Amino acid sequence: MTTAKKLVAPGISEAEAIDRAKGGDTECFELLYGLHKRRVYSLCLRMTGNTAEAEDLTQEAFLQLYRKIATFRGESAFSTWLHRLAVNVVLMHLRKKGLPEVSLEETLEPQQEDGPKKDIGARDNVLAGSIDRVNLERAIESLPPGYRIIFVLHDIEGYEHNEIAEMMGCSIGNSKSQLHKARMKLRDLLKTSRAEKAARR
Amino acid sequence: MNCAEFQKVLPYIIETGGDTEEEAHLASCPVCSDLVQDLRYIAEQAKLLLPMRDPSPKVWDNIQDSLQREGLVKPARARGRLLGSSAKLAW
Repeated sequence: MTTAKKLVAPGISEAEAIDRAKGGDTECFELLYGLHKRRVYSLCLRMTGNTAEAEDLTQEAFLQLYRKIATFRGESAFSTWLHRLAVNVVLMHLRKKGLPEVSLEETLEPQQEDGPKKDIGARDNVLAGSIDRVNLERAIESLPPGYRIIFVLHDIEGYEHNEIAEMMGCSIGNSKSQLHKARMKLRDLLKTSRAEKAARR
Repeated sequence: MNCAEFQKVLPYIIETGGDTEEEAHLASCPVCSDLVQDLRYIAEQAKLLLPMRDPSPKVWDNIQDSLQREGLVKPARARGRLLGSSAKLAW
Protein backbone atom coordinates (compact mmCIF):
# COMPACT_ATOMS: atom_id res chain seq x y z
CA MET A 1 0.00 0.00 0.00
CA THR A 2 1.52 3.35 -1.01
CA THR A 3 1.81 6.22 1.37
CA ALA A 4 -0.88 8.03 -0.57
CA LYS A 5 -3.32 5.20 -0.04
CA LYS A 6 -2.42 4.54 3.57
CA LEU A 7 -5.41 5.41 5.70
CA VAL A 8 -4.84 8.15 8.28
CA ALA A 9 -8.39 8.02 9.59
CA PRO A 10 -11.31 5.71 8.85
CA GLY A 11 -11.85 5.95 5.12
CA ILE A 12 -9.38 8.79 4.59
CA SER A 13 -5.95 8.43 3.03
CA GLU A 14 -3.25 11.04 3.58
CA ALA A 15 -3.66 12.21 -0.01
CA GLU A 16 -7.37 12.75 0.58
CA ALA A 17 -6.69 14.53 3.87
CA ILE A 18 -4.30 16.87 2.07
CA ASP A 19 -6.82 17.60 -0.68
CA ARG A 20 -9.53 18.29 1.85
CA ALA A 21 -7.24 20.45 3.97
CA LYS A 22 -6.47 22.48 0.86
CA GLY A 23 -10.19 23.09 0.57
CA GLY A 24 -10.36 24.36 4.14
CA ASP A 25 -11.33 21.14 5.92
CA THR A 26 -9.91 21.85 9.34
CA GLU A 27 -10.53 18.37 10.65
CA CYS A 28 -8.27 17.06 7.94
CA PHE A 29 -5.72 19.72 8.79
CA GLU A 30 -5.82 18.43 12.33
CA LEU A 31 -5.26 14.91 11.01
CA LEU A 32 -2.17 16.12 9.19
CA TYR A 33 -0.97 17.84 12.34
CA GLY A 34 -1.34 14.62 14.27
CA LEU A 35 0.58 12.70 11.64
CA HIS A 36 3.52 15.05 11.36
CA LYS A 37 3.83 16.91 14.64
CA ARG A 38 6.41 14.59 16.15
CA ARG A 39 8.86 14.77 13.30
CA VAL A 40 8.49 18.54 12.90
CA TYR A 41 8.88 19.14 16.63
CA SER A 42 11.88 16.81 16.86
CA LEU A 43 13.55 18.66 14.02
CA CYS A 44 12.92 22.03 15.69
CA LEU A 45 14.14 20.73 19.03
CA ARG A 46 17.30 19.21 17.66
CA MET A 47 18.14 22.33 15.68
CA THR A 48 17.49 24.79 18.50
CA GLY A 49 18.26 22.73 21.57
CA ASN A 50 15.48 24.56 23.39
CA THR A 51 12.03 23.17 24.22
CA ALA A 52 10.16 26.46 24.31
CA GLU A 53 11.67 27.66 21.04
CA ALA A 54 10.96 24.32 19.43
CA GLU A 55 7.30 24.51 20.41
CA ASP A 56 6.98 28.04 19.09
CA LEU A 57 8.62 27.03 15.84
CA THR A 58 6.45 23.94 15.50
CA GLN A 59 3.42 26.15 15.91
CA GLU A 60 4.72 28.57 13.29
CA ALA A 61 5.55 25.75 10.87
CA PHE A 62 2.01 24.39 11.01
CA LEU A 63 0.48 27.84 10.72
CA GLN A 64 2.54 28.35 7.58
CA LEU A 65 1.42 24.95 6.42
CA TYR A 66 -2.21 26.00 6.79
CA ARG A 67 -1.61 29.18 4.83
CA LYS A 68 0.46 27.51 2.10
CA ILE A 69 -1.03 24.06 1.72
CA ALA A 70 -2.91 25.13 -1.38
CA THR A 71 0.46 25.53 -3.09
CA PHE A 72 1.47 21.91 -2.51
CA ARG A 73 1.52 20.31 -5.94
CA GLY A 74 2.53 16.78 -5.07
CA GLU A 75 5.86 17.03 -6.87
CA SER A 76 7.53 15.70 -3.76
CA ALA A 77 6.16 13.69 -0.87
CA PHE A 78 4.05 15.82 1.44
CA SER A 79 6.28 14.95 4.39
CA THR A 80 9.33 16.15 2.44
CA TRP A 81 7.61 19.39 1.54
CA LEU A 82 6.45 20.02 5.09
CA HIS A 83 9.84 19.12 6.44
CA ARG A 84 11.54 21.64 4.20
CA LEU A 85 9.03 24.27 5.25
CA ALA A 86 9.84 23.55 8.90
CA VAL A 87 13.59 23.76 8.26
CA ASN A 88 13.10 27.17 6.64
CA VAL A 89 11.04 28.35 9.61
CA VAL A 90 13.82 27.34 11.99
CA LEU A 91 16.57 28.89 9.90
CA MET A 92 14.63 32.14 9.56
CA HIS A 93 14.21 32.23 13.32
CA LEU A 94 17.91 31.59 13.91
CA ARG A 95 18.87 34.33 11.46
CA LYS A 96 16.63 36.78 13.27
CA LYS A 97 18.35 35.82 16.49
CA GLY A 98 21.59 36.87 14.92
CA LEU A 99 23.06 33.49 14.27
CA PRO A 100 25.45 34.02 11.38
CA GLU A 101 24.54 32.23 8.16
CA VAL A 102 27.41 29.94 8.79
CA SER A 103 27.98 30.23 12.45
CA LEU A 104 29.59 27.33 11.84
CA GLU A 105 32.56 29.45 12.19
CA GLU A 106 35.21 28.80 14.53
CA THR A 107 34.12 27.89 17.94
CA LEU A 108 37.15 25.79 18.58
CA GLU A 109 40.48 27.10 19.69
CA PRO A 110 42.96 27.03 16.82
CA GLN A 111 45.19 24.52 18.51
CA GLN A 112 42.34 22.08 18.73
CA GLU A 113 41.92 22.20 15.03
CA ASP A 114 45.51 22.21 13.92
CA GLY A 115 47.53 19.09 13.72
CA PRO A 116 46.50 15.56 13.11
CA LYS A 117 45.05 13.32 15.74
CA LYS A 118 47.88 11.25 17.14
CA ASP A 119 46.25 8.70 19.35
CA ILE A 120 49.10 6.33 18.82
CA GLY A 121 48.42 2.99 20.34
CA ALA A 122 44.78 3.83 21.04
CA ARG A 123 43.22 1.21 18.77
CA ASP A 124 40.98 0.09 21.62
CA ASN A 125 39.40 3.52 21.92
CA VAL A 126 37.29 3.41 18.79
CA LEU A 127 33.69 4.32 19.38
CA ALA A 128 32.08 1.51 17.43
CA GLY A 129 29.52 -0.28 19.52
CA SER A 130 29.78 2.07 22.47
CA ILE A 131 27.31 4.84 21.61
CA ASP A 132 23.77 4.70 22.90
CA ARG A 133 20.97 6.91 21.72
CA VAL A 134 20.72 8.92 24.94
CA ASN A 135 24.40 9.81 25.00
CA LEU A 136 24.37 10.74 21.35
CA GLU A 137 21.31 12.97 21.79
CA ARG A 138 22.95 14.67 24.77
CA ALA A 139 26.16 15.19 22.87
CA ILE A 140 24.27 16.70 19.93
CA GLU A 141 22.43 19.03 22.30
CA SER A 142 25.70 20.31 23.65
CA LEU A 143 27.20 21.11 20.25
CA PRO A 144 27.70 24.78 19.43
CA PRO A 145 24.63 25.98 17.50
CA GLY A 146 26.29 26.26 14.11
CA TYR A 147 27.74 22.76 14.30
CA ARG A 148 24.48 21.36 15.58
CA ILE A 149 22.46 22.80 12.69
CA ILE A 150 24.69 21.31 10.03
CA PHE A 151 24.91 17.96 11.80
CA VAL A 152 21.15 17.74 12.26
CA LEU A 153 20.44 18.71 8.68
CA HIS A 154 22.96 16.31 7.15
CA ASP A 155 23.39 13.31 9.40
CA ILE A 156 19.95 13.15 11.01
CA GLU A 157 17.61 14.70 8.50
CA GLY A 158 19.45 13.49 5.42
CA TYR A 159 19.90 16.71 3.45
CA GLU A 160 22.75 16.72 0.97
CA HIS A 161 25.54 19.27 1.13
CA ASN A 162 24.28 21.11 -1.95
CA GLU A 163 20.86 21.49 -0.29
CA ILE A 164 22.41 22.65 2.97
CA ALA A 165 24.63 25.11 1.14
CA GLU A 166 21.59 26.60 -0.55
CA MET A 167 19.63 26.80 2.70
CA MET A 168 22.49 28.23 4.71
CA GLY A 169 23.92 30.52 2.08
CA CYS A 170 27.32 28.90 2.21
CA SER A 171 29.48 26.87 -0.13
CA ILE A 172 29.34 23.09 -0.40
CA GLY A 173 32.93 22.97 0.79
CA ASN A 174 32.02 24.98 3.85
CA SER A 175 29.11 22.66 4.61
CA LYS A 176 31.44 19.65 4.43
CA SER A 177 34.06 21.35 6.55
CA GLN A 178 31.61 22.32 9.27
CA LEU A 179 29.98 18.90 9.29
CA HIS A 180 33.39 17.42 9.82
CA LYS A 181 34.03 19.73 12.73
CA ALA A 182 30.66 18.83 14.23
CA ARG A 183 31.46 15.12 14.01
CA MET A 184 34.93 15.69 15.48
CA LYS A 185 33.42 17.58 18.37
CA LEU A 186 30.90 14.81 18.91
CA ARG A 187 33.69 12.26 18.86
CA ASP A 188 35.47 14.16 21.61
CA LEU A 189 32.30 14.53 23.66
CA LEU A 190 31.39 10.87 23.34
CA LYS A 191 34.86 9.68 24.21
CA THR A 192 34.93 11.93 27.26
CA SER A 193 31.53 10.67 28.32
CA ARG A 194 32.65 7.10 27.92
CA ALA A 195 35.82 7.70 29.92
CA GLU A 196 33.87 9.38 32.72
CA LYS A 197 31.45 6.50 32.82
CA ALA A 198 34.29 4.00 33.01
CA ALA A 199 35.97 5.97 35.79
CA ARG A 200 32.80 5.83 37.88
CA ARG A 201 32.76 2.05 37.88
CA MET B 1 51.20 11.55 2.62
CA ASN B 2 51.26 12.13 6.35
CA CYS B 3 48.41 12.29 8.86
CA ALA B 4 48.18 16.09 8.79
CA GLU B 5 47.80 16.12 5.03
CA PHE B 6 45.24 13.32 5.10
CA GLN B 7 43.14 14.86 7.86
CA LYS B 8 43.15 18.19 6.06
CA VAL B 9 41.32 16.69 3.10
CA LEU B 10 39.26 14.22 5.12
CA PRO B 11 36.12 16.45 5.29
CA TYR B 12 35.93 16.44 1.51
CA ILE B 13 36.61 12.78 0.86
CA ILE B 14 35.03 10.94 3.76
CA GLU B 15 31.82 10.29 1.87
CA THR B 16 33.09 9.86 -1.64
CA GLY B 17 36.50 8.31 -1.05
CA GLY B 18 39.92 9.73 -1.77
CA ASP B 19 42.49 9.39 -4.50
CA THR B 20 45.03 6.61 -4.60
CA GLU B 21 47.45 8.31 -2.25
CA GLU B 22 44.76 9.21 0.25
CA GLU B 23 43.29 5.72 0.26
CA ALA B 24 46.77 4.26 0.64
CA HIS B 25 47.40 6.39 3.70
CA LEU B 26 44.04 5.38 5.18
CA ALA B 27 44.80 1.72 4.61
CA SER B 28 48.17 1.95 6.28
CA CYS B 29 47.60 4.38 9.14
CA PRO B 30 45.83 3.06 12.25
CA VAL B 31 45.32 6.54 13.69
CA CYS B 32 43.55 7.93 10.65
CA SER B 33 41.74 4.66 10.11
CA ASP B 34 40.34 4.78 13.64
CA LEU B 35 39.37 8.41 13.17
CA VAL B 36 37.46 7.69 9.96
CA GLN B 37 35.82 4.67 11.56
CA ASP B 38 34.63 6.80 14.48
CA LEU B 39 33.30 9.59 12.31
CA ARG B 40 31.43 7.21 10.05
CA TYR B 41 30.03 5.39 13.07
CA ILE B 42 28.72 8.66 14.51
CA ALA B 43 27.05 9.49 11.19
CA GLU B 44 25.49 6.02 11.00
CA GLN B 45 24.14 6.21 14.53
CA ALA B 46 22.71 9.65 13.87
CA LYS B 47 20.70 8.30 10.97
CA LEU B 48 19.06 5.85 13.35
CA LEU B 49 17.83 8.56 15.71
CA LEU B 50 14.07 8.63 15.64
CA PRO B 51 11.84 11.66 16.05
CA MET B 52 12.05 12.28 19.72
CA ARG B 53 8.74 13.22 21.21
CA ASP B 54 5.50 15.07 20.65
CA PRO B 55 5.08 18.75 21.39
CA SER B 56 2.86 19.60 24.32
CA PRO B 57 -0.89 19.82 23.65
CA LYS B 58 -0.76 23.59 24.02
CA VAL B 59 0.99 23.83 20.64
CA TRP B 60 -2.19 22.64 18.92
CA ASP B 61 -4.28 24.93 21.14
CA ASN B 62 -2.11 27.87 20.11
CA ILE B 63 -2.44 26.92 16.44
CA GLN B 64 -6.22 26.88 16.78
CA ASP B 65 -6.19 30.25 18.57
CA SER B 66 -3.98 31.79 15.91
CA LEU B 67 -6.14 30.53 13.06
CA GLN B 68 -9.21 31.92 14.78
CA ARG B 69 -7.54 35.28 15.39
CA GLU B 70 -6.58 35.44 11.73
CA GLY B 71 -10.16 34.74 10.79
CA LEU B 72 -9.21 31.61 8.91
CA VAL B 73 -11.46 29.43 11.00
CA LYS B 74 -14.36 29.92 13.33
CA PRO B 75 -14.54 28.38 16.76
CA ALA B 76 -16.93 25.43 16.90
CA ARG B 77 -20.04 25.82 19.01
CA ALA B 78 -19.88 22.22 20.13
CA ARG B 79 -16.64 21.00 21.63
CA GLY B 80 -15.41 17.76 20.25
CA ARG B 81 -12.33 15.64 20.47
CA LEU B 82 -10.23 14.61 17.55
CA LEU B 83 -6.75 13.31 17.89
CA GLY B 84 -6.61 14.53 21.45
CA SER B 85 -7.36 18.18 20.68
CA SER B 86 -9.52 19.91 23.19
CA ALA B 87 -11.72 21.76 20.72
CA LYS B 88 -12.86 21.09 17.22
CA LEU B 89 -12.25 23.74 14.62
CA ALA B 90 -15.14 24.52 12.33
CA TRP B 91 -15.05 26.03 8.92
